Amino acid sequence: MNCSEVRARLHAYVDGELTVSEITDVDGHCMECRQCAALARAEREFRQLLRRQPREGAPPELRARIVRRVRREAAVAKGRRWLLLPAVAAAAAVVVMVLLPARTPPPLVADLVDKHIAYAQIERPAELASTDPREVAEWFQSRAGMRVTVPDYSPSGIHLAGARLAEAHERKAAYLLYEKGRTLLSVFMVPVSAGEAALPGRRVSYRDHNYVAYEQKGFRTVSWSDGQAVYGLVSMLDYDALLECADRLRAERARQTRL
Amino acid sequence: MALVHLAALYHTALRLTRNRAEAEDVVQEAFLRAFRSFHRFNPGTNCRAWLFTIMRNVFLNRVRTQGREVLETEMGGLDHAEVTVDAHVDRNPEEQFLQTMLHGDVDRALTTLPLAFREAVMLVDIEGLTYREVAEVVGCPIGTVMSRLSRGRALLRRALGRFAREHGYVKEEE
Repeated sequence: MNCSEVRARLHAYVDGELTVSEITDVDGHCMECRQCAALARAEREFRQLLRRQPREGAPPELRARIVRRVRREAAVAKGRRWLLLPAVAAAAAVVVMVLLPARTPPPLVADLVDKHIAYAQIERPAELASTDPREVAEWFQSRAGMRVTVPDYSPSGIHLAGARLAEAHERKAAYLLYEKGRTLLSVFMVPVSAGEAALPGRRVSYRDHNYVAYEQKGFRTVSWSDGQAVYGLVSMLDYDALLECADRLRAERARQTRL
Repeated sequence: MALVHLAALYHTALRLTRNRAEAEDVVQEAFLRAFRSFHRFNPGTNCRAWLFTIMRNVFLNRVRTQGREVLETEMGGLDHAEVTVDAHVDRNPEEQFLQTMLHGDVDRALTTLPLAFREAVMLVDIEGLTYREVAEVVGCPIGTVMSRLSRGRALLRRALGRFAREHGYVKEEE
């Protein structure tokens, strides 16, 4: 290959779009021609500059909105075209599992993720092993004087395994441990300290409530604050499951507060 | 499958529309369309290119209805016109300015490119699509992708060089 033949192929060369024999020819030419070698190098560096461009992640609200719209359509389609249901369900699942971009979560949320990881590694993470929500609630009351709402997620196949007193941000926190098969779900309730306003972070709306959702170290988190406590769910379960659990805990908490 | 492409679709939409709200609308509509035509998607084929194609169509439809830059006219001329940029002649020692460019500069420079070149550069250089995928997304032969890419990169270089001089990264007459 001569210089003009090489230069005509330079872009395809740095993009890895040439055939093996063409690559060998261009390589061979560049060994002997410093000018073409310099051009190839410059082209490669330029490409690297472009590759390094920041990519703004999709906002969690967008993902939640897409999931909602797809579900709504899926529900309509279900009534109309039941024959297509498997495809509809598959597509809905596909959208539901869209990953949220990695961002830095609030320190409290990061702390909860670390606790979740730590507990997942010890043999008996629960101080009290129990599958009975009432027993767990009574245990918190007698042990630490805490009124803890212990939601029952068993209809969704997420079973209560136990509880412990945890610490987050140097505050005593309630920790509930659930299992879905072999996947753990941690539910933390951390009392809000004075002057601590709403949890900072990017919000996802689910059933008219706002949540802060982050992905951290491979785990998904959904958190919110009701003014009295910060609630944080940590798991490898998908966001839909987490938001559903969050919604039920919030509703149960509101019901108990009213009583 | 489709799940891993939301981020790529979103930042590509953002670079196309240059507007977050609009980018979100485009991506949402693209996903809904993908969902509606999911039964037509052939599992063996390229899901990423398929989604990008749908998103590009959504974007172009909006552009047309809004009466802004219209791709066909813009590209119809450009593909056949002599664009007087030679990637190799245009380069000079001030190439070192590339090391000092800020991220925002590249985005700003990209916006100065005609859409046909901008999308080729974005899809290949930023999103990492292959020439074949871009040809599928854009609906043109691979040869056209290659020439748009080479011109697009040359125009981008030139725009960046201009910014570098404006910002004083390099001196006016070097």
